[in-house]
Amino acid sequence: MSEDWRAAWRPVVDAVGGDFGDGEAIEGADAVDASALRRFLEPLEFDCPLHQEGGLAPLSSYFTFVAPPIWQPGGAAVFTSDERDAQPDGVGQRRFLTGLEPPYTGYFAADFELQPLLPVLVGDRLTRTGRKLVGCELKETSVGRGAFMTWEWEARNQRDEVVARFRNTMYVYNGPED
Amino acid sequence: MDWSEQRYWEDVEEGAEVPAVAFPLSVYRLVVEAGANRDFNSIHHQSEYARASGAPEMYANTGFLLGMWERTVREFIGLHGSIRHIDGFRMRRFNTVGTTVVVRGRVKSKRRDDGDALVDLEVWSELEDDITVGPGVVTVELPVRS
Repeated sequence: MSEDWRAAWRPVVDAVGGDFGDGEAIEGADAVDASALRRFLEPLEFDCPLHQEGGLAPLSSYFTFVAPPIWQPGGAAVFTSDERDAQPDGVGQRRFLTGLEPPYTGYFAADFELQPLLPVLVGDRLTRTGRKLVGCELKETSVGRGAFMTWEWEARNQRDEVVARFRNTMYVYNGPED
Repeated sequence: MDWSEQRYWEDVEEGAEVPAVAFPLSVYRLVVEAGANRDFNSIHHQSEYARASGAPEMYANTGFLLGMWERTVREFIGLHGSIRHIDGFRMRRFNTVGTTVVVRGRVKSKRRDDGDALVDLEVWSELEDDITVGPGVVTVELPVRS
Protein backbone atom coordinates (compact mmCIF):
# COMPACT_ATOMS: atom_id res chain seq x y z
CA MET A 1 0.00 0.00 0.00
CA SER A 2 2.73 2.44 0.97
CA GLU A 3 4.33 2.03 -2.47
CA ASP A 4 1.13 2.87 -4.37
CA TRP A 5 2.20 6.48 -4.65
CA ARG A 6 5.28 5.37 -6.57
CA ALA A 7 3.17 3.40 -9.04
CA ALA A 8 1.05 6.51 -9.62
CA TRP A 9 4.16 8.33 -10.84
CA ARG A 10 5.14 5.55 -13.27
CA PRO A 11 3.70 7.28 -16.37
CA VAL A 12 5.82 10.34 -15.64
CA VAL A 13 8.98 8.28 -15.12
CA ASP A 14 8.27 6.56 -18.44
CA ALA A 15 7.88 9.95 -20.12
CA VAL A 16 11.45 11.04 -19.38
CA GLY A 17 13.07 12.16 -22.62
CA GLY A 18 9.91 13.69 -24.04
CA ASP A 19 9.43 17.35 -24.96
CA PHE A 20 6.20 18.72 -23.52
CA GLY A 21 6.58 22.20 -24.98
CA ASP A 22 4.53 21.24 -28.06
CA GLY A 23 6.59 23.69 -30.08
CA GLU A 24 5.02 26.57 -28.21
CA ALA A 25 6.96 29.80 -27.70
CA ILE A 26 5.71 31.43 -24.51
CA GLU A 27 6.25 35.17 -24.72
CA GLY A 28 7.09 37.05 -21.57
CA ALA A 29 4.53 39.56 -20.32
CA ASP A 30 6.90 42.50 -20.46
CA ALA A 31 9.74 43.62 -22.68
CA VAL A 32 13.06 44.33 -21.03
CA ASP A 33 12.87 48.01 -20.20
CA ALA A 34 14.58 50.37 -17.80
CA SER A 35 11.64 50.47 -15.40
CA ALA A 36 11.38 46.70 -15.16
CA LEU A 37 15.12 46.45 -14.55
CA ARG A 38 14.99 49.09 -11.83
CA ARG A 39 12.13 47.26 -10.11
CA PHE A 40 13.99 43.97 -10.38
CA LEU A 41 17.15 45.38 -8.82
CA GLU A 42 15.39 47.26 -5.99
CA PRO A 43 14.70 44.44 -3.51
CA LEU A 44 18.19 43.09 -4.16
CA GLU A 45 19.71 46.51 -3.41
CA PHE A 46 21.85 45.77 -6.46
CA ASP A 47 23.46 48.99 -7.67
CA CYS A 48 25.69 47.65 -10.45
CA PRO A 49 25.89 50.29 -13.21
CA LEU A 50 25.81 47.60 -15.91
CA HIS A 51 22.21 46.96 -14.93
CA GLN A 52 21.14 50.29 -13.42
CA GLU A 53 22.49 52.45 -16.23
CA GLY A 54 23.88 50.20 -18.95
CA GLY A 55 20.66 48.45 -19.88
CA LEU A 56 22.05 44.95 -19.31
CA ALA A 57 19.53 42.55 -17.78
CA PRO A 58 20.85 40.50 -14.85
CA LEU A 59 20.95 36.76 -15.54
CA SER A 60 18.66 36.25 -12.57
CA SER A 61 15.99 38.33 -14.28
CA TYR A 62 15.60 36.03 -17.31
CA PHE A 63 12.96 34.01 -15.44
CA THR A 64 11.05 37.27 -14.95
CA PHE A 65 11.18 38.28 -18.60
CA VAL A 66 9.91 34.92 -19.83
CA ALA A 67 7.04 34.92 -17.33
CA PRO A 68 3.75 35.05 -19.24
CA PRO A 69 1.01 37.51 -18.33
CA ILE A 70 -1.60 36.48 -15.78
CA TRP A 71 -4.27 38.15 -17.93
CA GLN A 72 -4.13 39.89 -21.27
CA PRO A 73 -6.51 42.05 -23.32
CA GLY A 74 -9.14 39.99 -25.07
CA GLY A 75 -8.67 37.10 -22.68
CA ALA A 76 -11.24 35.75 -20.26
CA ALA A 77 -11.34 37.14 -16.74
CA VAL A 78 -8.98 35.28 -14.40
CA PHE A 79 -9.77 37.00 -11.09
CA THR A 80 -13.13 35.32 -10.76
CA SER A 81 -13.32 34.55 -7.05
CA ASP A 82 -13.42 36.71 -3.95
CA GLU A 83 -12.29 33.82 -1.79
CA ARG A 84 -9.41 35.10 0.32
CA ASP A 85 -6.78 32.69 -1.00
CA ALA A 86 -8.17 32.25 -4.50
CA GLN A 87 -5.57 31.98 -7.24
CA PRO A 88 -6.22 33.46 -10.68
CA ASP A 89 -7.72 31.02 -13.18
CA GLY A 90 -5.18 29.25 -15.35
CA VAL A 91 -2.24 30.20 -13.18
CA GLY A 92 -0.76 26.73 -13.28
CA GLN A 93 -1.26 26.02 -16.95
CA ARG A 94 2.28 26.75 -18.02
CA ARG A 95 4.03 25.16 -15.11
CA PHE A 96 6.69 22.58 -15.73
CA LEU A 97 4.36 19.59 -15.80
CA THR A 98 3.62 16.74 -18.19
CA GLY A 99 -0.09 16.39 -17.49
CA LEU A 100 0.58 12.80 -16.45
CA GLU A 101 1.22 13.57 -12.77
CA PRO A 102 -0.99 12.06 -10.08
CA PRO A 103 -2.94 14.61 -8.00
CA TYR A 104 -0.59 16.91 -6.12
CA THR A 105 -0.90 19.61 -3.50
CA GLY A 106 2.44 21.39 -3.78
CA TYR A 107 5.02 22.47 -6.33
CA PHE A 108 8.28 24.31 -5.81
CA ALA A 109 11.67 24.83 -7.44
CA ALA A 110 14.52 22.74 -6.08
CA ASP A 111 17.51 23.04 -8.38
CA PHE A 112 18.67 25.27 -11.16
CA GLU A 113 21.39 25.53 -13.81
CA LEU A 114 21.89 28.42 -16.22
CA GLN A 115 24.18 28.89 -19.18
CA PRO A 116 24.03 32.41 -20.60
CA LEU A 117 24.88 32.63 -24.31
CA LEU A 118 24.05 36.20 -25.34
CA PRO A 119 23.49 39.41 -23.39
CA VAL A 120 19.91 40.53 -22.84
CA LEU A 121 19.47 44.29 -23.17
CA VAL A 122 16.81 46.95 -22.80
CA GLY A 123 14.52 46.64 -25.81
CA ASP A 124 14.74 42.87 -25.98
CA ARG A 125 11.71 40.66 -25.58
CA LEU A 126 12.16 37.09 -24.39
CA THR A 127 10.25 33.91 -25.03
CA ARG A 128 10.54 30.50 -23.44
CA THR A 129 10.84 27.56 -25.83
CA GLY A 130 11.15 23.82 -25.30
CA ARG A 131 10.14 21.91 -22.22
CA LYS A 132 12.02 18.63 -22.23
CA LEU A 133 11.68 16.29 -19.27
CA VAL A 134 15.14 14.89 -18.63
CA GLY A 135 14.71 13.34 -15.18
CA CYS A 136 12.11 12.18 -12.68
CA GLU A 137 13.29 11.04 -9.27
CA LEU A 138 10.65 9.86 -6.82
CA LYS A 139 11.23 10.88 -3.24
CA GLU A 140 9.46 11.23 0.08
CA THR A 141 10.46 14.44 1.86
CA SER A 142 9.42 16.38 4.94
CA VAL A 143 6.60 18.06 2.99
CA GLY A 144 5.18 15.02 1.20
CA ARG A 145 5.62 12.32 -1.42
CA GLY A 146 6.32 13.19 -5.01
CA ALA A 147 8.87 13.59 -7.72
CA PHE A 148 11.82 15.83 -8.48
CA MET A 149 11.22 16.53 -12.16
CA THR A 150 14.13 17.98 -14.14
CA TRP A 151 13.48 20.04 -17.26
CA GLU A 152 15.54 21.65 -20.00
CA TRP A 153 14.42 24.72 -21.91
CA GLU A 154 15.72 27.83 -23.64
CA ALA A 155 15.11 31.56 -23.62
CA ARG A 156 15.14 33.32 -26.99
CA ASN A 157 15.09 36.97 -27.94
CA GLN A 158 12.96 38.72 -30.59
CA ARG A 159 15.50 37.70 -33.26
CA ASP A 160 14.95 34.04 -32.32
CA GLU A 161 18.49 33.83 -30.94
CA VAL A 162 18.98 31.56 -27.94
CA VAL A 163 20.14 33.84 -25.13
CA ALA A 164 20.36 31.20 -22.40
CA ARG A 165 19.84 27.52 -21.70
CA PHE A 166 18.23 26.37 -18.48
CA ARG A 167 17.92 23.16 -16.55
CA ASN A 168 15.65 23.27 -13.55
CA THR A 169 14.23 20.76 -11.12
CA MET A 170 10.77 21.12 -9.63
CA TYR A 171 9.45 19.09 -6.70
CA VAL A 172 5.83 18.15 -7.27
CA TYR A 173 4.29 16.47 -4.25
CA ASN A 174 1.26 15.45 -2.34
CA GLY A 175 1.34 16.61 1.25
CA PRO A 176 0.52 14.30 4.15
CA GLU A 177 -3.20 13.76 4.71
CA ASP A 178 -4.72 15.35 7.80
CA MET B 1 30.12 49.27 -3.36
CA ASP B 2 32.91 50.98 -5.26
CA TRP B 3 32.40 49.91 -8.86
CA SER B 4 35.57 51.72 -10.00
CA GLU B 5 37.65 48.90 -8.53
CA GLN B 6 38.29 45.95 -10.82
CA ARG B 7 39.55 42.51 -9.84
CA TYR B 8 41.83 40.82 -12.40
CA TRP B 9 42.42 37.13 -13.03
CA GLU B 10 46.00 37.43 -11.82
CA ASP B 11 44.77 38.83 -8.48
CA VAL B 12 42.66 35.81 -7.64
CA GLU B 13 44.03 33.02 -5.48
CA GLU B 14 42.47 29.62 -4.97
CA GLY B 15 40.81 29.42 -1.56
CA ALA B 16 40.28 33.18 -1.32
CA GLU B 17 36.93 34.26 0.09
CA VAL B 18 34.25 36.01 -1.87
CA PRO B 19 32.99 38.81 0.41
CA ALA B 20 29.68 37.82 1.99
CA VAL B 21 26.47 39.74 1.36
CA ALA B 22 23.55 39.64 3.83
CA PHE B 23 19.89 39.81 2.80
CA PRO B 24 17.45 40.30 5.72
CA LEU B 25 14.04 38.89 4.77
CA SER B 26 10.99 40.83 5.90
CA VAL B 27 7.42 40.47 4.62
CA TYR B 28 7.80 43.89 3.03
CA ARG B 29 10.87 42.83 1.08
CA LEU B 30 9.29 39.58 -0.09
CA VAL B 31 6.24 41.46 -1.36
CA VAL B 32 8.41 43.98 -3.22
CA GLU B 33 10.32 41.04 -4.68
CA ALA B 34 7.15 39.30 -5.89
CA GLY B 35 6.13 42.45 -7.74
CA ALA B 36 9.63 42.89 -9.12
CA ASN B 37 10.24 39.42 -10.48
CA ARG B 38 6.64 38.38 -11.18
CA ASP B 39 6.72 35.21 -9.10
CA PHE B 40 3.33 35.68 -7.48
CA ASN B 41 3.04 32.19 -6.01
CA SER B 42 1.39 32.78 -2.63
CA ILE B 43 3.92 30.56 -0.87
CA HIS B 44 6.33 33.49 -1.23
CA HIS B 45 4.23 36.20 0.39
CA GLN B 46 1.54 34.63 2.53
CA SER B 47 2.24 32.69 5.72
CA GLU B 48 -0.95 30.62 5.90
CA TYR B 49 -0.66 29.57 2.28
CA ALA B 50 2.99 28.63 2.71
CA ARG B 51 2.26 26.60 5.85
CA ALA B 52 -0.55 24.74 4.11
CA SER B 53 1.98 23.66 1.51
CA GLY B 54 4.24 22.16 4.17
CA ALA B 55 6.72 25.03 4.54
CA PRO B 56 7.27 26.58 7.98
CA GLU B 57 6.62 30.14 6.69
CA MET B 58 6.54 32.21 3.51
CA TYR B 59 9.92 31.99 1.83
CA ALA B 60 12.12 33.67 -0.77
CA ASN B 61 11.48 32.63 -4.38
CA THR B 62 14.01 31.23 -6.84
CA GLY B 63 14.59 34.46 -8.73
CA PHE B 64 15.27 36.33 -5.53
CA LEU B 65 17.74 33.71 -4.29
CA LEU B 66 19.47 33.61 -7.67
CA GLY B 67 19.64 37.39 -7.67
CA MET B 68 21.38 37.25 -4.29
CA TRP B 69 24.05 35.00 -5.82
CA GLU B 70 24.37 37.24 -8.87
CA ARG B 71 24.83 40.40 -6.80
CA THR B 72 27.43 38.68 -4.60
CA VAL B 73 29.35 37.36 -7.60
CA ARG B 74 29.06 40.62 -9.57
CA GLU B 75 30.48 42.59 -6.65
CA PHE B 76 33.45 40.19 -6.70
CA ILE B 77 34.11 40.18 -10.47
CA GLY B 78 33.45 43.88 -11.09
CA LEU B 79 32.14 45.56 -14.19
CA HIS B 80 34.57 43.86 -16.58
CA GLY B 81 33.98 40.33 -15.37
CA SER B 82 31.28 38.10 -16.81
CA ILE B 83 29.30 35.14 -15.54
CA ARG B 84 29.70 32.15 -17.85
CA HIS B 85 27.76 29.41 -16.07
CA ILE B 86 25.76 28.74 -12.91
CA ASP B 87 25.41 25.18 -11.69
CA GLY B 88 24.48 23.46 -8.43
CA PHE B 89 21.96 26.07 -7.39
CA ARG B 90 20.19 23.55 -5.18
CA MET B 91 17.58 24.87 -2.77
CA ARG B 92 17.92 22.59 0.24
CA ARG B 93 15.92 24.48 2.84
CA PHE B 94 13.29 27.18 2.82
CA ASN B 95 14.72 30.68 3.18
CA THR B 96 11.93 31.94 5.37
CA VAL B 97 10.73 35.38 6.35
CA GLY B 98 12.15 36.73 9.59
CA THR B 99 15.66 35.46 8.91
CA THR B 100 18.76 36.81 7.19
CA VAL B 101 20.20 34.95 4.21
CA VAL B 102 23.95 35.36 3.89
CA VAL B 103 25.56 34.51 0.55
CA ARG B 104 29.17 33.41 0.79
CA GLY B 105 31.74 32.02 -1.58
CA ARG B 106 35.31 31.08 -2.19
CA VAL B 107 37.59 30.67 -5.16
CA LYS B 108 37.55 27.00 -6.03
CA SER B 109 39.94 27.02 -8.99
CA LYS B 110 41.24 29.16 -11.83
CA ARG B 111 42.38 28.28 -15.32
CA ARG B 112 43.03 29.56 -18.83
CA ASP B 113 40.84 27.98 -21.48
CA ASP B 114 41.52 28.86 -25.09
CA GLY B 115 42.51 32.37 -24.08
CA ASP B 116 39.68 32.87 -21.61
CA ALA B 117 40.72 33.64 -18.03
CA LEU B 118 38.24 31.62 -16.01
CA VAL B 119 37.59 31.22 -12.31
CA ASP B 120 35.27 28.74 -10.63
CA LEU B 121 33.64 30.22 -7.55
CA GLU B 122 31.99 27.96 -5.01
CA VAL B 123 28.93 29.85 -3.81
CA TRP B 124 26.29 29.07 -1.22
CA SER B 125 23.55 30.69 0.87
CA GLU B 126 23.37 30.29 4.64
CA LEU B 127 20.78 30.72 7.35
CA GLU B 128 22.13 30.50 10.87
CA ASP B 129 25.21 28.62 9.61
CA ASP B 130 23.13 26.02 7.73
CA ILE B 131 23.50 25.94 3.98
CA THR B 132 20.13 26.58 2.35
CA VAL B 133 21.17 26.94 -1.30
CA GLY B 134 24.12 25.23 -2.97
CA PRO B 135 26.99 24.96 -2.69
CA GLY B 136 27.07 25.53 -6.40
CA VAL B 137 29.69 26.61 -8.87
CA VAL B 138 29.57 29.92 -10.69
CA THR B 139 32.12 30.07 -13.49
CA VAL B 140 33.25 33.59 -14.27
CA GLU B 141 35.61 35.21 -16.71
CA LEU B 142 37.89 37.97 -15.43
CA PRO B 143 40.00 40.47 -17.35
CA VAL B 144 43.76 39.91 -17.45
CA ARG B 145 46.28 42.63 -16.68
CA SER B 146 48.24 42.05 -19.87
